Amino acid sequence: MAIVGSVIVIAVFPSEEKKVRKRFRLLSEWVSRSPEENAFTMLQKMKNVGSLFEEHCELKTDYPSLSGSYTREQISTYVGSARPQVSRLDLTFYDLQIAFPEKKVAKATLTARLTGRSTAGEQIDEVRELECRLRKIEKQWLFSKIDVVEVLKK
Amino acid sequence: MEPTYHNGGVNFCWRLRYLFSRPKRHDVIAVRFAGSKVMLLKRVVAQEGEWVEFRDGKLFVDGKEIDEPYIRFPCTWNLSPRQVEKNYIYVVGDNRSMPIENHLFGQASKSRVVGGPLW
Repeated sequence: MAIVGSVIVIAVFPSEEKKVRKRFRLLSEWVSRSPEENAFTMLQKMKNVGSLFEEHCELKTDYPSLSGSYTREQISTYVGSARPQVSRLDLTFYDLQIAFPEKKVAKATLTARLTGRSTAGEQIDEVRELECRLRKIEKQWLFSKIDVVEVLKK
Repeated sequence: MEPTYHNGGVNFCWRLRYLFSRPKRHDVIAVRFAGSKVMLLKRVVAQEGEWVEFRDGKLFVDGKEIDEPYIRFPCTWNLSPRQVEKNYIYVVGDNRSMPIENHLFGQASKSRVVGGPLW
């Protein structure tokens, strides 16, 4: 009985770590694209992706032109404008490690892999290590900063 | 790392290789690129404090040209001199036939050196 009770409590009240992990799962699901995806699903995913981010999210990459602060709307628009250029896209996360350095702040270190095929037929396969910061705002964990770790500095 | 190591080939990493020594110039090392599983094979060309530069495809360290017999493909890279930071080593792949901007190379933290290929 105690075991059943514990399982129910865990299922109903997931830990903060599980909630953060779920945000990554949703990000993966909403960025990915299958060849059968219709226009309605595409629009829904575009709208959903923005909801995972804070009002302003900072992005740091080794491409200076991409680094900067983006609003939710800009992120949704960017994801939407990139989708017609790919016929298939899969975003997967590995080695996800989550720490809570402060109250309502989560820091995640992970490997992100983007695979797929462009509409021109080119293969896409990019792997990067990411450091993400999420903040808990109104009971939701939202991405506030994404750093692409620069392993090799030219 | 073509032609020394072929793309898609299987290599075993010897993690104890640098337990009692440090990577030397011309050594091929495995650098942890992402997470615990994604590794890159690269060649060490300079140590911390040294100045690295490419002139018309030739490697210069502290102003002296370095002989690299393992480079088989033509290379035309140019890179202005830059100093390797403390606790970093400068690594480059052997396949330099591609444009410099498409090649993954640069200074890597020594903490990311996992070992070297077994053969």
